[in-house]
Amino acid sequence: MEFKNIGYALLTIFIVLNYGLILQGVVRKIGARVGRRYGIRWYQPYIDIIKNYAKRSTITHGVMFYIAPVFRLTGGIGLLLFMPVIFGSDIFGNFSFAGDLVLVLYFQFFGILGMALGAAESGHPYSAIGVSRGLSQVTSFELPLTLGVIAIAMQYQTLNITEIVAAQQGGFMNWTIITNPFAAIAMLIAFLGAMGRSPFDVVLAPQEIPIGPPTEFQSGLLGVLQLNRAIFPAAKLILFMNLLFGGATNWAELILKTFLIYMWPVFVGTVFPRFRVDQSVRWFLTVPLIIGIIAIILI
Amino acid sequence: MVGPIYIIAVALGTAFSLGFFKKANVKFSFAFMLLAMTFMTFISGQWLYAFLTQQQETIQIFTAGFKPPFSISLQMGFYEAVFLSIINIVGLLSAIYMYDKLKEKGVQMMMVFVLLFMGLNVVVMTRDIFNLFVFLEIASIATAGLIILDKSANAISAGFKYIIATAIISGILLIGIIAVYYYAESLYINDIINSNLSFIKGGAVAVFLILIAIVLELKPFPANGWALDVYEAAHPGIGTIVSAASASAVIFVLTKILPIVGESGYYIIGIIGIITFLGSNLLGLKQNTTNRLLGYSSIGQIGLLLTIIGLTPYLGDKTLFIAFGVLISHALAKAGLFWLSGIINSKNIKGWAAIRRNPHLLVLMGTFIFALVGFPPFPSFFAKWELIMQLANNDKIIWLALILIGSFIEGVYLFRWFGYAIKGENQDLPEFKIQWNKIIPVIIFALGLYAIGYYYSTLTGSAASLNYIPLLFILFLYAIDFLPVYIKNTISIAGIGYYLYTIYPGLEEFNLIFALIFLAGGILTLLAGYTYKGKRQGFYPLVMMMFAGLLGLIEANTTLEFFFAWEIMTIGSYFLIIRGKKSMTHALSYMLFSVGGAYLILAGFGLAHIGQSSYSLDILANVQGYAPIIFTLLAVGFMTKTASIGLHIWLPGAHAEAESDVSPMVSAILLKAGVFGLIVLMLRMGAQSFGSFDIYYALAWIGAITAIMGNMMAAFQEDAKRLLAYSSVGFLGYALFGLALMSHLGWLAAVSLSVIHFMFKTLLFLAIGGVVMRVKTKEMYKMGGLIKKMPFTFISVLMGIIVISGVPPLTGFGGKWILYNAVLDKGWFLPAGAIFFAGIIAFLYCFRLIHTIFLGQLKDEHREVKEAPFWMLLPQYIILGVIMIFSAFPNSLLKPIGEVIMPYFSDGALEWQGQLAVSNFGYWNGELIMYIVGGIFVIVFAWLWFMNRNAQKVKQFNIGYSAERPSLPETTHFAYNFFAPYKKALGFLVSPIISDFWEAVSEGIHAIADKIRRIYDGNAQTYVLHIIAFIVIFYLIAFGGSYGI
Amino acid sequence: MEKFNLENISLVIGILVILIGLWGLLTQKNLIKIIIGFALFDTGIHIVMVSIGYIKNGTAPILDNAVDINNAANAVVDPVPQALVLTAIVIGLGITALMLTYVLKMYQKRKSLEINNYNDLKW
Repeated sequence: MEFKNIGYALLTIFIVLNYGLILQGVVRKIGARVGRRYGIRWYQPYIDIIKNYAKRSTITHGVMFYIAPVFRLTGGIGLLLFMPVIFGSDIFGNFSFAGDLVLVLYFQFFGILGMALGAAESGHPYSAIGVSRGLSQVTSFELPLTLGVIAIAMQYQTLNITEIVAAQQGGFMNWTIITNPFAAIAMLIAFLGAMGRSPFDVVLAPQEIPIGPPTEFQSGLLGVLQLNRAIFPAAKLILFMNLLFGGATNWAELILKTFLIYMWPVFVGTVFPRFRVDQSVRWFLTVPLIIGIIAIILI
Repeated sequence: MVGPIYIIAVALGTAFSLGFFKKANVKFSFAFMLLAMTFMTFISGQWLYAFLTQQQETIQIFTAGFKPPFSISLQMGFYEAVFLSIINIVGLLSAIYMYDKLKEKGVQMMMVFVLLFMGLNVVVMTRDIFNLFVFLEIASIATAGLIILDKSANAISAGFKYIIATAIISGILLIGIIAVYYYAESLYINDIINSNLSFIKGGAVAVFLILIAIVLELKPFPANGWALDVYEAAHPGIGTIVSAASASAVIFVLTKILPIVGESGYYIIGIIGIITFLGSNLLGLKQNTTNRLLGYSSIGQIGLLLTIIGLTPYLGDKTLFIAFGVLISHALAKAGLFWLSGIINSKNIKGWAAIRRNPHLLVLMGTFIFALVGFPPFPSFFAKWELIMQLANNDKIIWLALILIGSFIEGVYLFRWFGYAIKGENQDLPEFKIQWNKIIPVIIFALGLYAIGYYYSTLTGSAASLNYIPLLFILFLYAIDFLPVYIKNTISIAGIGYYLYTIYPGLEEFNLIFALIFLAGGILTLLAGYTYKGKRQGFYPLVMMMFAGLLGLIEANTTLEFFFAWEIMTIGSYFLIIRGKKSMTHALSYMLFSVGGAYLILAGFGLAHIGQSSYSLDILANVQGYAPIIFTLLAVGFMTKTASIGLHIWLPGAHAEAESDVSPMVSAILLKAGVFGLIVLMLRMGAQSFGSFDIYYALAWIGAITAIMGNMMAAFQEDAKRLLAYSSVGFLGYALFGLALMSHLGWLAAVSLSVIHFMFKTLLFLAIGGVVMRVKTKEMYKMGGLIKKMPFTFISVLMGIIVISGVPPLTGFGGKWILYNAVLDKGWFLPAGAIFFAGIIAFLYCFRLIHTIFLGQLKDEHREVKEAPFWMLLPQYIILGVIMIFSAFPNSLLKPIGEVIMPYFSDGALEWQGQLAVSNFGYWNGELIMYIVGGIFVIVFAWLWFMNRNAQKVKQFNIGYSAERPSLPETTHFAYNFFAPYKKALGFLVSPIISDFWEAVSEGIHAIADKIRRIYDGNAQTYVLHIIAFIVIFYLIAFGGSYGI
Repeated sequence: MEKFNLENISLVIGILVILIGLWGLLTQKNLIKIIIGFALFDTGIHIVMVSIGYIKNGTAPILDNAVDINNAANAVVDPVPQALVLTAIVIGLGITALMLTYVLKMYQKRKSLEINNYNDLKW
């Protein structure tokens, strides 16, 4: 590890942050147009962030509350930096030498737990309800995801993400989605839950418990959360791209692939209405679980 | 030396001359009688001493100057001396105990008393079979005479049943004797033996009649209703005599006449014995009446003795050792308990809670109960050990199993009773007085049990190496129990510390790791003990007993030492658990699972010992057969301590109700004993399977299911300590899974998780214990917002849950990472999936724990709560420091453990490059991750601080909740049934199937017991009918169509 | 006619008395009658004992003019059972007396001789 790695890491963060923000805006715009509305401007997420940071009054409910966004953003950035973003690139390999796929899988929870704690300190009941729902849902889609990951790790005989990507090079016929379809499907279904879009958006549930855990956050604190909301999904997209779709050797390929992968939860979300928590928990433990078990049996 | 004939002379002389005193001076008469009893005791004791020390030979005493068969001859040998000593000591102490009663009833009663003991003495010594009959009759007439001591109608009707029944039995005996005389033409037992009557058609019947009559005198199940009534209704002093003295005498008679019957008699005796043992203990389950319960237990113990005698052909020269160990434990303990029952004076066992008014009495009672059940260091422990070893060696597996089942059932009701004594309500119970004459005999017998227990351990070859130093330390702590807590705490810590220091150089491998968990852990948790004020009576001896047991496990080289330590640990932890609030039922179920588990372990060791001469633990590596069965028995036995699914129901309550500093001991430390046991077992026995069925695969699944169920139950708890307790269940599931993998990484995961679990569970239990101390409730939804009141505790809990959840960068992640790699190596993916699923469920309870207690809204009644006491926090922060070191430098923990595992499993070991661990599949650098995460965190935090440094701190209710202070603040703390939707989705998985199962088993057995005991309808005629039916049935069994027993 | 000799007849009678005694003991509800049943049982045993010791045509085992001292062992019946019977009778008497004492006490307590009134202790 050298100091230039830090510089490269900052560059990665910068690119992904902007990509994430634009992706957010663009997807909302598309969604609006499909729904025959005009929709927001594609750069609206930038405006929101600037607005939040510019607010003059900030309130805090306590230490945990104050550092929760820090946990959250650290989780997002960490997830991104522990993965090789661009295959074969020293510059965008980042800190992937610190740990393998298991680290990435578990580091996802760093931000989630920190955020849950901060939200809870606000004392707002909607926050607590949101956390309860969120954790419940996480446990259930984690099972098919784990089974898929085990299947892939066995397929490639490694937990090293770079090696997994390397094994998929040389045409789409080598991608995991083709070579190990059951594992891929199990993981992609779990991905729906991880992205938290409809039908699995009961955590934030905008019309019911106004945005759940982050309810009490405002101004700069919310701004940090919004940064994370750009980075974290992008990082997850990159993870799935690496594991299932052969990774990316340059930024153009990355943007194309992740955009298309993102369309999967977007489409599903447009078609299906919201599940209750108990429904989604049960659902994840039926069809996706069975697919995951098939993937394991086929190893 | 005074000849044994003087026993008779003195007794008769005293009885006659007492008649002259009449009512002149009752006290003087009593002194006179006591003198006689003392003299009888002295004579028998002096003979015993001679036999023990001076190679005294057995002597025959011929009366009336003729040799037998023309005269009655008495014999005094070593065994006679032993039995006479027991009987006469019981007699002497009984006389002292019954001083009041005897004084009240006057000289006649004293005469009867002396005659009873004269009868028993002669019964033991005589070699003439008719003489035997006469003195048996004298003894039973005298007993019936004593029963009238009590004026109650119940006692008298019980006495009537007794005399009717014994009269019938002696009639049978008389017929048998005369028939034997007809065939053998002699009454001298030695002559009768030589005439081999069993081979003559009629002679066999004659012998059978004598045998069955003697057996009936021993109250075999079910022909014993008459005796039970006596036990229940008569004065406890008489219960003692019947149970301890008379039964001993008749047992001796049985051994005397068995040679007449020949080899085949053993079989019948064995069957009668085991039926009695099982039946009587089974019926004991339904008893609430103290003395009747003791009666059932007495009969059960005699049944066990009969079984042992019946098994003589298989036990060989160990028979005496075993039988005497059981007999002496039974006699002393039962006498002690009967006597105590006379002091406490409570008919119902629930009333024994009154005993707590004098804790020393409780110690006495505990001594007797543990001696009866066969715990160390009592003689019954060594006897039972030897019994099981011999039975296993002779392939008597069914006998072995039945004996253990019977012992277990006896444990159930004895410990239930003991539980009432320790924990029952003692509010409205009557006071009792302790008279010196009633308590001294009890104390003497209790001390006797310890002394004989020690003597017994010196007789057992393999027990000679037992380490008694920790036990002496416990005794010392008991002696200084009057001192204040801080002194005793310091002494205890110093004791453990010093011991660890002395044994440390000799420790290696797993022993070292677990010694550190047990002893360093002990020191840490004891630090919290400084929080307590006052004396904390009885606490320190018990704590030390648990640690002594744990230590013994580490030091054990032989199976006996291991089992000894295991039982000592069980005793200590049982008492620690029962000290908690509302702990009665939990402690009972803990004890029952422990005893059951211990018997499985005992059986396993027994089977492993087949064909081996050594008792070294290493015989497990070299078993001669039954390998998978031995493995399963031992594994299940150990799993009762690790609380694996199915065997876990004792744990949550036991751990949750314990005191604040006891919970970490029993949860973080004690459970590791099971892990240690499994390691010892697996290292030696290696792979095991039933045919093609791999036992380890089953263990892996058990581990996985335990993990899921434990964690899910934890998520649904409302009680904070119960949540932590279930979390332990889950975590030990991981450990079991890791061990079952039988690979380097699997074991690395299991052992390191054990270490880590020890740390964070101690941390969390101490932290939550501190909270509970301050807020006086364990219900989480009654708390909230305590972060501002108890910030240091909050940090502990925060770190603790990060470790549990396995989120990087703390050390919990290491465990997860190793487990992943281990699974990929091994290939057991489905149970592995379940394990990882469980890992995620852990998030639910982790969040629940910290959120509901520390976050959310502060409750009105907690506005004045203070931070936890310093001494509670200190150990937490020591542990926190260690956790941080292990997190940043994982190889400081994992590398040494890996090296320990290396000699056993070398494939797939981690390769260390500094802090970078490389496995076959992946890599992980704990130090780097720590820096990276820390770096990002600091940068982001700095950014936020820069942007928002002037954030305004707001008060509790300043939230976006309609911009108002809610009218009911507690409702804004969304806490009760926090994971309701999750419960709706998956709650069916944790429906209490297993506790329902055990409940149903227990209910069923109790219902059966209740049905069966209805045969005792209280009518003397029914009892006589039982006796006759018993004779007929065993006649048919014995002769089964052909003649010859 | 061998079967109808003295010893066999007395043996059979003894056993019959034993059985009658047992029958009485088991079926009668009156305490006194139960004791009488026991007394019969006991007496039956005594008869059996004596008949077992009987030697055909033997005389009483008393060394007087009727018995030749040199041939005493063949001429007299076996003295041991007779001695035993004496002892047994004494003991039986003692037991019977004690039983009656108990009945007396029981009657004083409850004013009843019905055995079913003394079933309080059970199970």
